[in-house]
This record gives sequence, C-alpha cells and structure tokens, in this order.
Amino acid sequence: MASAVGNSKSGKAARGKAQPLQAQDKLTFLLSLVPYLMDHDRVSVAQTATHFDMTKEQIRDAVRLIGVSGIPGETAQYQHEDLFDISWDDLEENDQIVLTHRVAIDDSPRFSAREAAALIAGLQYLSSLPEHADRAAIATLMAKLSRGASATPSQLTVQSSGTDETLALIRDSVDAGVQLEFDYLNSRGERERRRVDPLRIESLDADWYLRAWCHLREAVRTFRLDRISNPVVTTEPITHGAADVKLPDTLFEGSADDLIVTIDVATSAAPLLADYIPDGAVTVEKDGRLRTSVRVSHYHGLKRLIASMPGVAIVIGPLDARAAVREWAAAGASRYQ
Amino acid sequence: MSAAAQVRVPVEERLFSLVLALLATEAGLTKNEILSTVQGYRQRYSNSGDNSNLERQFERDKDDIRELGVPLETLESPGQVGNNQNLRYRIPRGDYELPSDISFSPEETTLLNLAAMVWREGSISGESRRAILKLRSLGVVTDEPVIGYAPRLRVQDVAFEPLSAALDKHVIIRFGYLKPGEQEARTRTIAPIALIQREGRWILHGQDQDAGGTRNFLLRRIVTPVTTTNTRYAPFPASAMEAAKAELDEIWDRRSAVVEVEPGSDASTRLAKRPGTTVDGNLLTLHYSDFDLLADELAGFGPEVLVASPPELRTAVRNRLLRTAADHG
Repeated sequence: MASAVGNSKSGKAARGKAQPLQAQDKLTFLLSLVPYLMDHDRVSVAQTATHFDMTKEQIRDAVRLIGVSGIPGETAQYQHEDLFDISWDDLEENDQIVLTHRVAIDDSPRFSAREAAALIAGLQYLSSLPEHADRAAIATLMAKLSRGASATPSQLTVQSSGTDETLALIRDSVDAGVQLEFDYLNSRGERERRRVDPLRIESLDADWYLRAWCHLREAVRTFRLDRISNPVVTTEPITHGAADVKLPDTLFEGSADDLIVTIDVATSAAPLLADYIPDGAVTVEKDGRLRTSVRVSHYHGLKRLIASMPGVAIVIGPLDARAAVREWAAAGASRYQ
Repeated sequence: MSAAAQVRVPVEERLFSLVLALLATEAGLTKNEILSTVQGYRQRYSNSGDNSNLERQFERDKDDIRELGVPLETLESPGQVGNNQNLRYRIPRGDYELPSDISFSPEETTLLNLAAMVWREGSISGESRRAILKLRSLGVVTDEPVIGYAPRLRVQDVAFEPLSAALDKHVIIRFGYLKPGEQEARTRTIAPIALIQREGRWILHGQDQDAGGTRNFLLRRIVTPVTTTNTRYAPFPASAMEAAKAELDEIWDRRSAVVEVEPGSDASTRLAKRPGTTVDGNLLTLHYSDFDLLADELAGFGPEVLVASPPELRTAVRNRLLRTAADHG
C-alpha cells in the first residue's frame, strides 16, 4: 500500500489497516465509538469508517456488537432496557448508524498514562516542524494530554530541537505551490544547484529528509536536510504535486544498480544497519558477530558508514569495497602524522 | 460441562461488557456477581462447580483493562475487611471519563495524529494507536497538513521495552552495562527515573542502587537482557526528569571539541548544522554529550575532518581510523 502521508488518510492506513486489531485495540475502539455515535444522531458507516480509519466492515461489526451489549441490570438478565439499541433497519438497509438507546457510557475515555506519554514524546520529537513554532500552544496541548490521562504520564521524553529554517522554507514553497531551489551535496561529494517540487518530509531518528520531484534529474529524489544549503523559495510554479506522484514506502529504495556487500557486524549493533540489509539476506551468526549483506548504491556511502563503526562492522567483500573503506580510513589517519 | 459453556463470546465482547457493568455500578460488584452475571463470564460460570479457570480469566482481564487506562478499583465491603471474596469492583465514572473541559481543536488534532505516527514499532506504537482512537471519539475533523510528513523515531534498542515497562510500574531493574574502554560489562541495579531521547539515541536516567546518586545509561551499551525485580520504588517527581534533561543540556554545553573540516565537504556541511556548532572559517567548535560517540561520528568523515582539540579526541579518532584501516587490510 502506498503511504502518501501527504493525505493523512493513506498515511494512517499504513499504520492501522495493515495489522488486524488486537482485543485491547478492539475494546478501545468500542469505548471510543459509542461517544462518537452519541454525538451524531445519524451517521453513515462510510463516514465513520473514514473518521476512524477503519474498514466499513469493521465499523458494521462494532455497531452490531454495541447493539446487543449492555449491563446485567436489576434482574442480572440483560433485559431490553439494559441494552444499547440501534436502528437495525437503518444499519442493514441504508448503511446508516442511529443509536436509539444507550447505557453506562456518557463520555470519551481518558488516555492511559503510557498513551499520553507516547503522544507527548511524539510532540517533543516534532518540535522542529514549522507547525510547532507556537511553543506556548504546544505546551498547552501537552498539559491537556497530562490532565486527560488516568495517571501521571510515564517519564518518557525527547530532547527538543529548535525550529528548522529549511523545514519552514519547504512548507512555504508548498503553501505557495512554487519550486524550492538549493545547493545539494550528495553522498558522492558532488555539489549541485537543485530545483525541486517538495512532496513529503520524512525523518528517521535524528535525521530529516525531503522527498521531492527533482527537475534536474526529472525523478523523485530524497535529500538529507543537513546536506541542503542556501535554500530559496522561487516563483516558478511546481509541476508535480503530492497527489500526482506515488512515493515508495521506504526511505531507502533499492535499485537494480545497487551493490551488495558482505559484512561482519557485532550482533548487538546489527539493528543500526537494519535499513541497509535487503529482504531475504542470508544471515549467519557466529561468536557474537553476524555475517550478512547490505545494499548500497555506491561505496562513497559505505565507507563513511563503516568508518563510523570502528571495530564493530567490517566489510568482507567484494575486495574493492574493502579497499574503498581501507583507503578512506587510512587517508583520515594519515592527516594526524 | 453444560451446553451453555460451549457458547463462545469474543474477547472484546467480554471486556466491553465488563467495563459497561463496572461503570454502571455505584456500589461495586463482587467477583462472584461479575462471573455469574456479566456477558462472556456467565456463559462459563458454574453454580455448583469449580470456577478457578474463570477467576484466572477475570484476573487477566482486569490487567488488560487497567493497561488501557481504565481505572478499575476495588473496595472492601463494610464489615468484611480482608475478605477477598467480598471485594467489590467498580470503575468510578469521574476517573474514567475525559474531563469535560478538555477538547482539542482541529489543528491540535492534526498535531497529535502526527505525534502518534512517530512511533512505528514496539508496544509504544500500540499505545499511540489507541490514544488516537480515543482522540477520534471526540469527533474532531482534522486539518490536512500543508505538506505530508512521515516522521519516525525508532526504539530498536532491545532494552527499551523492559525499561519503559519498569518505569511505568516503578520497579527496580538490573542489567549489564559495558562502558567504552572497559573489557567486561558490570551489573547495575537501577531505579528508573526517565527515558530520554537525545540526538537519536535513547538514554536511561536512573538512581543507582549500589553507587547511590543518579546516572545516565545509553541503551545501546546495555549488553545483557534487562531483569525486572519485584522491588518497587516510590515514583520520582516530574521535576527529576526535568533536572536530568537540564543536566544533559549542561553536559552538552560544557563539552566541546574543535575540528578542521575540508571546505565544501560533507563534513563541513553537516557538522556545521549540528545544534550549537560555531563556525570560524574551516574551524568548527562542536558540542557533544558522549566522547566515544563523537569519536565514532568524526571517524566516519575520514580525511574530511582533522581534530584540533582536545588531544584525547585526536588520539581517539586517529586510533579508530587506524583500526578500520587494519581491519580492512
């Protein structure tokens, strides 16, 4: 499934629909759906499905279950007045939901301490986004999450970084529908002036990336934000919008020209290389080290990566990949003589 | 086993019915009342026989429900203090419901949706997914962000999961920690105070039970499985986490190195963009938290970087480069 996170619907789909709901998720959904239905006298299954990012069948199943659920009541027999009721004809014939009787639930549930903590830490992580420029508003939002939790949110925190100027310019160029121009130094060490139509901003831990249509290459390219300098919002209209381009799910796409390199890596450090290990790579563990393969587009990136993991990752083959790493490290060391 | 015992009620129906029943009761229900009357239990309840399986089921269900933030409480029956069979269970409405004065604007809802997207793995992704379901129950329609975002923060350190669980339950944990330069991991016994993410790396801040005082541990240097003890500790105030963050900021400010970068190189572009870096021609003053992580990072730049100071960092980077060259000889 394409995850064009530009429209939040498919972005969420990449998270939600891919996996079947567990019992705890289903319970949370039922407890969340009831107040939503209480606030809507009549709502279509389709609209509810869109709102909750679920399939229509998941909505119908949940509504049917709510329609027969309730409390034991005075008689402990689940009498009619002790149960929720819905307009069954509206559901079965019109695909509409009308809640006609409710019990027990009056309002939305609180967040759990860990749920609130996850959202608060997520907000902290995103503090460099231009949407977060209003720090006071973000602080208010975090306070509301804390107050809306059933217990003090767990002590989980992400160090905030300042608002990123490049991110703000990217947003401005999308807002105005115009191209962005900047100097870009690629991992081969080549510097070029690029003009792009920004499509999506992605991140992985401390690193931020721009996915964009590159007018120089006439293709979608991924740019590391910390390799961009002198960005300028142009007056040239974009030719490719987020809706026109299907972006691949993964940040690092494989290409037919990729080189496969065999490496030994300390087992404990292997997760650091997970994004480079292609699906189906043969991996053998021996004495706390893993022999596996990584996929790289050229050795310029590889030599930097391996040199930043001294003693932890070693290239086994091919020989010219080993040589590229050796020469890079030796050239670095020789500067200290 | 009776015919009724064969009726299979789905798990979510049993849990949903339990929450409804406990929300609806003021006085609380005894375990026996729950097992004999609530949908999903009553079908399997035996009036005469042994209900121990069902009781165990109820214990697990209680844990599952509490994990979702539902405040399931127990009351002792008047005059029956200490009698477990007569404990009464209920969910107090005020603690269950989101306070009515809390609402979220469309802009806020958009930001929270993005915040939830940050987590794609581990139990924290499930927690953020459930938080978003609860948020959506408020019916707020979100704004589309101007540009699409796909943020992702990984929790790939295996220690993350047990540490965050221990932090939540306030239990002391034990793990082997390998400090750079030491040959053997040393066992640490820690009361967790906070999990802090800095520069893409997770740090445990905790109180060392043997050494006394607080310490920071990089999760990636935890080299053994984390053992959870049964010893609970009194929760630390939120100010303890703020103090830890301030201390980390202070360390960052205090530690600095000067490097010479090759003009126009990857190192010159990227290192100049590190937070707090000052640029003076080709000389950059960098700030850092961890000496060894900085040395690794600088070694990756090969000949594009020459460390000017401190001398220990020069030596460390040079040794790393020599090691890599030798490993690939």
